[in-house]
Amino acid sequence: MPFPSAISLRDVALIGPELLLGAAGLLLLVAGAIGKGLTQKDAARVAGFSLALGAAVLFEVRSVVGAIPARLFGGSLVLDGYAFFWQLLALASVGLVVLMSSRGLESIASRASEYFALLLIATSALMLMVAALDLLTLWIALETMALSSYILAGIFTRERRSNEAAIKYFVLGALSSAILLYGISLLYGATGTLTLEGLAGAMPAALTQGSRLAPLGGLLVAAGLFFKIAAAPFHFWVPDVYVGAPTPITAFLASASKLASFAVLGRVFLVAFGGVQVEWQPVIAGVAVVSMIWGNVGALTQSNVKRLLAYSSIAHAGYLLIGVLAASETGLWAAMFYAAAYAFMTIGAFSVVALWSRGTYAAESCSDYAGLGRRSPYLAASMLIFLIGLTGIPPTGGFFGKVFLFAAAVEAGWTWVAVVGVLTSALSLYFYFRIVVFLYFTPAAEPATGGETSSAPAISAASIGIGLCAALTLALGIFPGPLIDLIKQSLLAMR
Amino acid sequence: MFDWVHGVPILSLICFLPLAGALVVMFALRDPATIRRFAFGVALIDFLLSLPLWFTFDAQGPLFQFKEGLDWIPSIGVRYEMGIDGIALLLVLLTTLLGTLAFLSSWSAIREREKEYYTFLLLLQTGMLGVFCALDFFLFYVFWEVMLVPMYFLIGIWGGPRRLYASIKFFLYTLVGSVLMLLGILALYFWNGRGLFGWTGAGNPLSFSIEQFHRIGPSIPADLQFWIFLAFFVGFAIKVPMFPFHTWLPDAHVEAPTAGSVILAGVLLKMGTYGFVRFSLPILPEATRRLVPWMIGLSVIAILYGALCAMAQRDMKKLVAYSSVSHLGFVTLGIFALNGPGLSGGVLQMINHGLSTGALFLLVGVLYERRHTRQIADFGGLSAVMPRYATIFLIITLASIGVPTLNGFVGEFTILIGAFSRSWLWAIAATLGIVLGAAYMLWMFQRVFFGPVSHEENRKLPDLSGRELVYLLPIVALCFWIGLYPKPFFRILEKPVAFLVENAERAAPVANPDAVLGR
Repeated sequence: MPFPSAISLRDVALIGPELLLGAAGLLLLVAGAIGKGLTQKDAARVAGFSLALGAAVLFEVRSVVGAIPARLFGGSLVLDGYAFFWQLLALASVGLVVLMSSRGLESIASRASEYFALLLIATSALMLMVAALDLLTLWIALETMALSSYILAGIFTRERRSNEAAIKYFVLGALSSAILLYGISLLYGATGTLTLEGLAGAMPAALTQGSRLAPLGGLLVAAGLFFKIAAAPFHFWVPDVYVGAPTPITAFLASASKLASFAVLGRVFLVAFGGVQVEWQPVIAGVAVVSMIWGNVGALTQSNVKRLLAYSSIAHAGYLLIGVLAASETGLWAAMFYAAAYAFMTIGAFSVVALWSRGTYAAESCSDYAGLGRRSPYLAASMLIFLIGLTGIPPTGGFFGKVFLFAAAVEAGWTWVAVVGVLTSALSLYFYFRIVVFLYFTPAAEPATGGETSSAPAISAASIGIGLCAALTLALGIFPGPLIDLIKQSLLAMR
Repeated sequence: MFDWVHGVPILSLICFLPLAGALVVMFALRDPATIRRFAFGVALIDFLLSLPLWFTFDAQGPLFQFKEGLDWIPSIGVRYEMGIDGIALLLVLLTTLLGTLAFLSSWSAIREREKEYYTFLLLLQTGMLGVFCALDFFLFYVFWEVMLVPMYFLIGIWGGPRRLYASIKFFLYTLVGSVLMLLGILALYFWNGRGLFGWTGAGNPLSFSIEQFHRIGPSIPADLQFWIFLAFFVGFAIKVPMFPFHTWLPDAHVEAPTAGSVILAGVLLKMGTYGFVRFSLPILPEATRRLVPWMIGLSVIAILYGALCAMAQRDMKKLVAYSSVSHLGFVTLGIFALNGPGLSGGVLQMINHGLSTGALFLLVGVLYERRHTRQIADFGGLSAVMPRYATIFLIITLASIGVPTLNGFVGEFTILIGAFSRSWLWAIAATLGIVLGAAYMLWMFQRVFFGPVSHEENRKLPDLSGRELVYLLPIVALCFWIGLYPKPFFRILEKPVAFLVENAERAAPVANPDAVLGR
């Protein structure tokens, strides 16, 4: 493997956003340890500001790089439109997560800066992940992200469920990382290269020579990535971790972390294994179908909202995989569009949960939402928009995302997968709308005492985040054109 | 004279005025009385806006008129295209009219959460009008699905005791149907382009234009047509509903508030039959022809089964609901007779059913508001107590049965001509349905209105109020109009029906047409 003889300054400058976020994270860690540390509000402000600055620098980098992908550090990172899109999406998602973190962290107030620091470091890793062009860089970025997530999931050190989430996530996550790494080593053994483009050249030859290492390595890499995107049957950690982790962190796992891992999976399959798609398409089809069915059926019986959304996120991993399955231009941009829509809907839904819960783990049962439509009409209406979107009913971004994905499947000849997809989407109506029943049809269990909306302040950072998510979900459902054009443009330069 | 109808985007105005009204209700209004008046005002203006369509529609002109077009999502060829033919024209008018009447009927019936109620009712109106006006298949589908949400809420919040079950059942059923239809649309879309699954496509630029699909439809290979037909069929048949897919209907109808039932029966069900005449017949003629025996079989079963079920009901609303299944069976029978009389009768019967069943639900609602029961057994001898009510009920009953001089007769008779010219067997089965229809309707009328007043509390029931007369009399007038002078309606339907018949006969000849058509 060719190592760069010297690290050029230009390369370092071009990963400015990642460095900036990493540095901001470290600074927050230090600042939190000095004296009394930072208040939750100040730490959140620093994090939000760093993210905004990171986004600004990212745009600057993009304009410097231009349409032609820039390879950095001897080809271990690439700044192309694909990476740019996912980096932007990661920044936006984490920004929304920071907004929703304005409540519900009271019990760890003294360690707030730690929380935001880890979030920033994870973001930095996410952005490197989606730009990685060789498997080792990819693995290191993925691990950095994962390690931060393990701690974040367990940040409520006194809550047993948070501990449980962290332990489960860590043990299973470490296992999956090991599997991924083992797969990488097998691939290296079979082909002698770790770069995705090198693999693209070597895989067809390795397969035709009847190598057993190459397909096994590919399968193990795939299994590791399926774990990260929470696709069935690699999803067993998801419900418990999603329920136990602090709600903003759950939103982070379900959006930024899952989607960046998906971006990696897409790049690995479509670039590194691009020449041998016939071999892996059945695997992806199987995992997609199992995820859609298992996720949606599993959600049917859940009465805990976070657990319900956890199962739904398994199902959505399945829908996203359809984009990779199609292995086409349409499939790719459909999946990217869907990812964006899904991020806003999911973060929005978790934000409503976070905002409505008064204590740390309150408002998790569906029945806690009884009468919300009366007490807090805007909050309820936003939740309705997210649920409609997650089901895939217009006029929401979720609808278009699903239509595009199913279109890609039909176009590529995977109609039966599309049939499973549409039927499970229809099925998902049942459990998403069980929440709606509580929002609008059921009167509040206990009479609202005096001040009606006392629990939800009129305008808070979290409610701004929810409003943004709702507006974006609707905007993508009415005028999806601009985002499609943006994605298609970013893909033009990918190959 | 300034041709203002063609000068302004009239269809978009009609379609989106209720949406604008809904936004105003949602964000700007608070007082229930104001909301009521405002919402009714919006519906009325919408109806008045749609009237010029009737007068300026050129029955001899091009098939689709009042066309508008804008790019919506250019990168995948989705356009915002609106336009109506004679069939859609009648349905648009039916929608705006029934919508207005439904608003008026909710005046006293809905006394809680009025803001949300009128918001949803207005949103529903936009969705339904969009379905009938859309000339882009994708746009059509968006309206088709958008409309489900407000209907779900109307049933779920303001419905009867089993509203939760009924609302989610309605939603799930129709959603399953429509998502499968979506796959059919996508297959059509890709075939129009490069082709799919090894079938070479037409090679056109990607588009969802309905007119484009009408052009290429007949050249689609027969086996692909079959699959697309099946996908469409599930969507439309659940909506109609045709026989094995009808079980959501009685639940939804019974639990929905009066206005919901009126719109459900009057307009929503027509979306299914409209789908058949707008898409299945002209785009997939080959598959349609081959499946005619099945479609007719299901229609005849629906006619008889619906009628028999209606006869066994004790709840008036449920009886009317099952009668809808039977009447819609007539409509599909006419449509799949695939000839001039059958099709024009079928389409006209869509309007007739909307009027008479809408009126029946309104009438049952009137009684329910006074007595809070719909059981037939709770009434008797009402004709003495409420003479005006009884008169209107009788007229509507006769219209629904199909007595000459009223609208039902014209529709059913034309359908029977169409069916008879295909096969006398179908016609006989359908006629049996008419007899059964007369039986259950008249029997209900007899039990509710004749005889002595059986319940003391019924003795003091007030007769129809002025407001109730206002929303019932227009329907009665229309029933007589269509019954006595249906010519303007048939004239408007002439061209679209001719188009459908001509299209149905196009494409490759069937090997043995007699065998297929059951002659």
